[in-house]
Amino acid sequence: MTPRLSLYVPGDTPLHRVPAAWKLAALLLSGVGMFLVTSPAVLGPCAGLAAGALLSVRTPPRQLARHLTGPFVVLALVVVAAVVFQSAATAATVGLRLAALLLAALAVTLTTRTSEILDVLERVLRPLERTRLVNAAAVGLAVSLALRFIPEAFHRFHEIREAQAARGLSGSPLALLVPLAVRMLKSAEDIAAAVDARCYPPPPAARRADAAPSPARSPAPAGRTDEEATG
Amino acid sequence: MMNAHTARGRTARRRMETKDVVLIALFCAIIVVLGLVPPVDLGVAGVPITLQTLGVMLAGAVLGPVRGALACALVVLLTIAGLPVLAGGRGGFGVIPGPTGGYLLGWIPGAFVTGLLVTVLATRPRSRLARQAATAAACLVGGILVVYALGVPWTSVSTGLSLRQSTVTALYFLPGDAVKAVVAGLVAHNVRQAYPIERR
Repeated sequence: MTPRLSLYVPGDTPLHRVPAAWKLAALLLSGVGMFLVTSPAVLGPCAGLAAGALLSVRTPPRQLARHLTGPFVVLALVVVAAVVFQSAATAATVGLRLAALLLAALAVTLTTRTSEILDVLERVLRPLERTRLVNAAAVGLAVSLALRFIPEAFHRFHEIREAQAARGLSGSPLALLVPLAVRMLKSAEDIAAAVDARCYPPPPAARRADAAPSPARSPAPAGRTDEEATG
Repeated sequence: MMNAHTARGRTARRRMETKDVVLIALFCAIIVVLGLVPPVDLGVAGVPITLQTLGVMLAGAVLGPVRGALACALVVLLTIAGLPVLAGGRGGFGVIPGPTGGYLLGWIPGAFVTGLLVTVLATRPRSRLARQAATAAACLVGGILVVYALGVPWTSVSTGLSLRQSTVTALYFLPGDAVKAVVAGLVAHNVRQAYPIERR
């Protein structure tokens, strides 16, 4: 009933063993690079390379086909539109570029655990914490809560849908969404209390009070700890 | 990517509390689930539309600008992290440079503007009808105008179509999105009546 919540495919291919940070950095750089290049002679080999990387992952073919059909329908539409409205050269550039990006991104997505990607993101965010605009611990908490709530929301949605269908209200978005949102809002209070009761995320005040603070975290500014301690 | 987080430090009168994080995560889950469930037929020219963007407008209208935008930013984060959270089970880093990447990123300012407009327009009028209309209008501007303003040029860069052509492709989705905006406005209004929370 509950949908599977990750695209990761377990394995031990070379691409699986590359650290997640390297894969993501390479993906980002190649993504930017490919938007600067317009020559199909360069983009063609790039697409080939990405396809090779994807094949090296050795995903079950049926699973691979399922991941690729959706994006490639869009890709086909884009190429057809480019041929009709512009030139064949533009179509080749755009098609190869998008194909290369899609294949490379899928290769990274299939070989990297969600938790690894989130770790990298949290590491990227941590230096920004010093500017007081981002709280990496809160981002981590939000992500783990969201992952827990998605199956929950799915379950509630179906519960409400069945209840409304029994009353003859099937297909009315208003009758579905209002109870769903209200139930979610109502439960927020309890969940927040439960999270607070477990002292997560660790408040900066507690971190500072410790004689040996965890080295990964920067000490919080003084004004902020007082506010959070009282609030 | 994390632009929405910058709003946190300046606008918030009080700091982020656990309850805010929980609400953000809950609405992120609602947005994801509305993309997973089979589409409800809204009866517009037979175009099958999912309710995912409705969830985006709802997040802004119910939670307020900052938390609404952060809920959308969380969906974007999960997408980049490789989870199939978008409508039709799409996800992964490849979505961002694709033709629809701009619409996805546009959700963040879209929810922010929706929330801002609801706060400004829809809290004052006395009559119920005026409040409903104002909420729906906020969803139209934030959920469509702002999102398209980012999505259309992005499509044009990603696919090589001219701006005019990518505007034409966007127009195909406009009727469905307009209906969703009105529904989102009504839902948000009813939710706020049934269970009012502080909007931020």
